[in-house]
Amino acid sequence: MSPTARRAIGRTALVAGLLLYPFLDRALGLQTVHAVSDGMIYVLLALGLNIVVGYAGLLDLGYAAFFAIGAYAMGLLNSPVLGSPLYGHPWSFWLCIWLAAAMSALLGLVIGAPTLRVRGDYLAIITLGFGEIIPVAIRNLGDVTIEIGGWRPIERLNLTGGENGVNPVGRPYLPGVPFETDPVPWYFLILVIGAASLWAMSRLHDSRLGRAWMAIREDETAADCTGVNPVSTKLLAFALGASFSGFAGSIYAAKLQAITPGAFEFQVSIMLLCMVVLGGAGSLGGVVLGAMLITVFDRVVLSQTTFFVRSIGRTLGVPALASLDLTLWRWFFFGLGLVLVMLLRPQGLAGRRTSPIAPDDADELPAIEPSPPPRVESIPGWLREQIAPAPAGREAAILQVQGLTKRFGGVVALHEVDLVVPRGGIIGLIGPNGAGKTTFFNVVTGLVRPDSGRLTFDGASLVGLRPNAIVARGIARTFQSIRLFPHMTVLENVLVGEHCRLAATVAGAVLRPPSVRAEERRARERARALLAFVGLAGKADDLARNLPYGDQRRLEIARALATEPRLLLLDEPTAGMNPRETETLTNLIGLLRRELALSVLLIEHDMEVVMGISDRITVLDYGTRIAEGTPAEIQRHPRVIEAYLGTGYEQDSAARAAPR
Amino acid sequence: MLQLADVHTYYGNIRALRGVSLAVERGEIVTLIGANGAGKTTTLKTILGTVRPRRGTITFDGRRVDTLGTDRIVRLGIAQSPEGRRIFPRMSVLENLELGAFARPDRDGIAADLERVFTLFPRLRERIAQKGGTLSGGEQQMLAIGRALMARPALLLLDEPSMGLSPILVETIFRIVQDINRQGTTILLVEQNARMALRVAHRGYVIQTGRIVLHDAAAELLRSDLVRKTYLGEK
Repeated sequence: MSPTARRAIGRTALVAGLLLYPFLDRALGLQTVHAVSDGMIYVLLALGLNIVVGYAGLLDLGYAAFFAIGAYAMGLLNSPVLGSPLYGHPWSFWLCIWLAAAMSALLGLVIGAPTLRVRGDYLAIITLGFGEIIPVAIRNLGDVTIEIGGWRPIERLNLTGGENGVNPVGRPYLPGVPFETDPVPWYFLILVIGAASLWAMSRLHDSRLGRAWMAIREDETAADCTGVNPVSTKLLAFALGASFSGFAGSIYAAKLQAITPGAFEFQVSIMLLCMVVLGGAGSLGGVVLGAMLITVFDRVVLSQTTFFVRSIGRTLGVPALASLDLTLWRWFFFGLGLVLVMLLRPQGLAGRRTSPIAPDDADELPAIEPSPPPRVESIPGWLREQIAPAPAGREAAILQVQGLTKRFGGVVALHEVDLVVPRGGIIGLIGPNGAGKTTFFNVVTGLVRPDSGRLTFDGASLVGLRPNAIVARGIARTFQSIRLFPHMTVLENVLVGEHCRLAATVAGAVLRPPSVRAEERRARERARALLAFVGLAGKADDLARNLPYGDQRRLEIARALATEPRLLLLDEPTAGMNPRETETLTNLIGLLRRELALSVLLIEHDMEVVMGISDRITVLDYGTRIAEGTPAEIQRHPRVIEAYLGTGYEQDSAARAAPR
Repeated sequence: MLQLADVHTYYGNIRALRGVSLAVERGEIVTLIGANGAGKTTTLKTILGTVRPRRGTITFDGRRVDTLGTDRIVRLGIAQSPEGRRIFPRMSVLENLELGAFARPDRDGIAADLERVFTLFPRLRERIAQKGGTLSGGEQQMLAIGRALMARPALLLLDEPSMGLSPILVETIFRIVQDINRQGTTILLVEQNARMALRVAHRGYVIQTGRIVLHDAAAELLRSDLVRKTYLGEK
């Protein structure tokens, strides 16, 4: 049987099982549908959290707060206790569920906006605080009085029901469906919403937005420099993740018909996090599995086992067993399970493999064949069209830098640096280690703000723009210490490069109208063409981290080219390459300039490369420009020889030139 | 002093080393050259115990080390200056260097070696209080080498010490490698810059797809056709 057929059968069996389960349960008299439906609400929550933690890599320790907002939105809008005008209408549940999701999403934005500028651990601490604030606020907003002077615009208002919570909450209404008495309709309601959520999430994952989230998770700075706006991308993850918990919260409130602040404590956030990590952050199937395992274990296995152990204890006459309550040990078992998973399978039960997978037939390393030399014919046609040569009459310089100064504390990293990159030119930037070359790149690409100086690209100033905005203008870069997205595939890395040239929105990514399908197909074709051009055609599906070093360098260049740049900044592209690889890469750069009129600014310590390929060279030392000129002039420049080249360089080139 | 006999190392199912045998004698500079992905770094990792060989033995000073933990191996007198500049980014230059001497008891010696590192790399003295992570790439490279020297190892494993350094510093680094060696440290040098490596080394090994394919005196390797074509970029 082929794997696809096996998968199809597996899927059919799963769907049939899910559909038949409540009837089977009834026939066998198990009475587990209630507990399983409750569990599925947590699955939905875990899926929402997975967008934040698994996809975007933002550790959220207070996710239960969004759950609370969803539940209370439903509770407040659909309860007679607080006098909601919506209560009692047959359509109110179906309306409120959307309102609740919207409110959660909105709160996700409000809380996200200031917190997402901080990173990593700090963000986790902030979400932790937020998760604590919400239940406390709910408890204390049961009796609100506002007094201004003698005027009391609000007096003893019960906003949240306080410690007592909200009870009752209106149930959904569908003609002929007994939501009041039977758990089965709930099961199917949650199943439908859960399946729709899964479907939407898997489509989001395989879209421009999903790739942007993963890129942020992998390396935020590199993502920013590849054209992904980190702030809006992270906010979107927070808002979407929160909206799913809004759905879950409102169903929870309507199903239980009552909510109390105690249901949204810190432990809930932690349990949800456990579900995501146990199953495998970032893997939808894994998260469902993890959430199901934990909830079924918690609601069914523990209580049934307790029942069983007690009956044994009674028969044997052991009082310790007869009075045992295993449900009190739930956190012990969760903790133990998590420890075991982390030790035995740290990527989670269904997480993505990250070590290289050996080809089926061989246990040998593939022979390292030298990369093919770049050819004119293999330049992707679309790249030729996109990077069109400048229209006549534009000024000759594409990048103009004047009097650029940057200080870090007391250290002057750049002092009054001038530099011009002409259209279609290759400019070398050299200098001793620590001279400020990479800082110069960081200023041009917007990672570092200059203290003073002018910086114009194509006639417009770049000062103050964020890195992703500068990428959109047409400047791409590579990094000295390669910064790929290591746990994404080679193809995905290049697709992230195309991010800023693609347009799909959330709705487009989920619904996939023909325009989005076409865009995505084109993006993949383009990415594959680029990979073929740099000599990585056969490696599209490898994880970037498993590529050998030289391939990683070339992938970084392919990713930069995918952003459709007109100026390419290369930071030591041949570092760590052997002479052959270096030659191939040098030819590639030359080809790009010759054929596409791409302008290049090049930091490089391999003098054969710099001197051979640059039109002009600028030399920095201690942040100051000490020389500028043609390669021939630079090689003779006494200050450059003294500070940078040394005397060995001449001997070396003489040795290479002389036949042995 | 160091002996690898038929060492096989795997990553998952992939064989990275397929029977590497090599020897480093006390007082030597031995260089290991090869293409990217040939297994140079894996060889160093296996020696240092960060990955374990599946087959074969590694002996250091007559003692088997392939079963020991990395910290034990370092205490026996092997230190590495890692590829990719793995320095401690939030600690100062001085703290980074002092950590290199973590396993050493002799205070006076440490002070003298600190002075030696600053003499070798004056740039590090200028940046003594700066955080490691704020140094430029080349400066971090110097710091990584300096930190390895602070352990005053009997055997120093150098992984691409010239990577990302300016031409004048590349010369300096190789001069320093020779100086360190003359002062009594044995060196196993992995380099992409095969020309420079073979100039300073006494002997060299050429590794291809996980196997040693050639070994000889460095001067002989510089004359070998295979090395000249593949690793020196000569036509």
